[in-house]
Amino acid sequence: MKKFISSILFFVFLFGQESIVDRPNPCEDPLLKLARNKGIKAIPVKDIPRFRILMKACENEGGHKTIEQIIYRDWHRDYNKAKIMASFTPTFSVIVFLVMVYYFIGLGIATS
Amino acid sequence: MKSQILRFILSLFLFWGSFSLAQPKISVGLGLGLYEPTLSGFDDNIDVPFPTGTMLNRNFLFNWAVYYEFFSNARLGYNSYSSFEVGKLDLINSKAVYRRTIIYRMFPLETYFRWKPRIELNFTLTPIWGRGRISVDTTPGDKSEDWNQLINSFGDSAPVSDLGATDAMLNDWIGFSGMIGIRYYLSTRIGLDMKMGFMDNSYKNEKWRLQKKEVTGPKMKIDELPIFSFKVFYGFK
Repeated sequence: MKKFISSILFFVFLFGQESIVDRPNPCEDPLLKLARNKGIKAIPVKDIPRFRILMKACENEGGHKTIEQIIYRDWHRDYNKAKIMASFTPTFSVIVFLVMVYYFIGLGIATS
Repeated sequence: MKSQILRFILSLFLFWGSFSLAQPKISVGLGLGLYEPTLSGFDDNIDVPFPTGTMLNRNFLFNWAVYYEFFSNARLGYNSYSSFEVGKLDLINSKAVYRRTIIYRMFPLETYFRWKPRIELNFTLTPIWGRGRISVDTTPGDKSEDWNQLINSFGDSAPVSDLGATDAMLNDWIGFSGMIGIRYYLSTRIGLDMKMGFMDNSYKNEKWRLQKKEVTGPKMKIDELPIFSFKVFYGFK
């Protein structure tokens, strides 16, 4: 009986251990790939906690540069997309600015 | 021919799909607004002493907003500024609980550009649908008699007294607002947004409604008001 239990335990420990070779690299996770290619905001809200865990795991595995690149690319993507106004937006902004100037000049004259 | 038209429509849908999937960004904001209305109908009322006005119930506006980025430099959304007041009124028949809310519902069109990677300047014009609501708990005379008649019919002989009822008077008006703001992004999702501008409301104190009857409400000067707001934004997508 003793031999039987110890042999079971032996096999349980032997096959229960996760193989280091099979463990996936967190930096290669599809979620990080999605963040790298389409931006952090492309990640669904429900996956944000998993994404944060993956980011930490990737950093711990030595993927500092991958994470830095994801964040840098996200900032750059947002900035490039919105740094120049297009279509109707500059006209609209000028109108808002003029309306504001007109209002505050009027307010200044009325109160003085 | 039919199949060609169908293919054309389908490709249009596909084009729209990919076009709209690339751009939308939904953001939610929570914050405070600051303005200075003159609520003389409450503050200068001699007949009914209203609760003393404080910064919290006169000048602060609780603010929440939802925006949808429909274009690379433009957002459409819903923005609500609310002012609340709760207190007790010394009326002839009762010490009534009184609640007052003024809500400025805005439907802004906002354009913006990134001046620096973390700093955004934005320009907003919006129509306003304003609503004032005053509710008071009162004790109408016949109320307990009517309830007693009903309860007694069920077999309860003990009478009830001092029943209260809540009625509310409402007023709706329209207005418009213009604002210029600056947003500082703490991360690619979270931003601090500060705005300054003005608000113009076409409020008329004779246009209040109580139980579908037109009544005169408090005098409030809420036109041509400077307004400031501070919000924290979170971008969902």
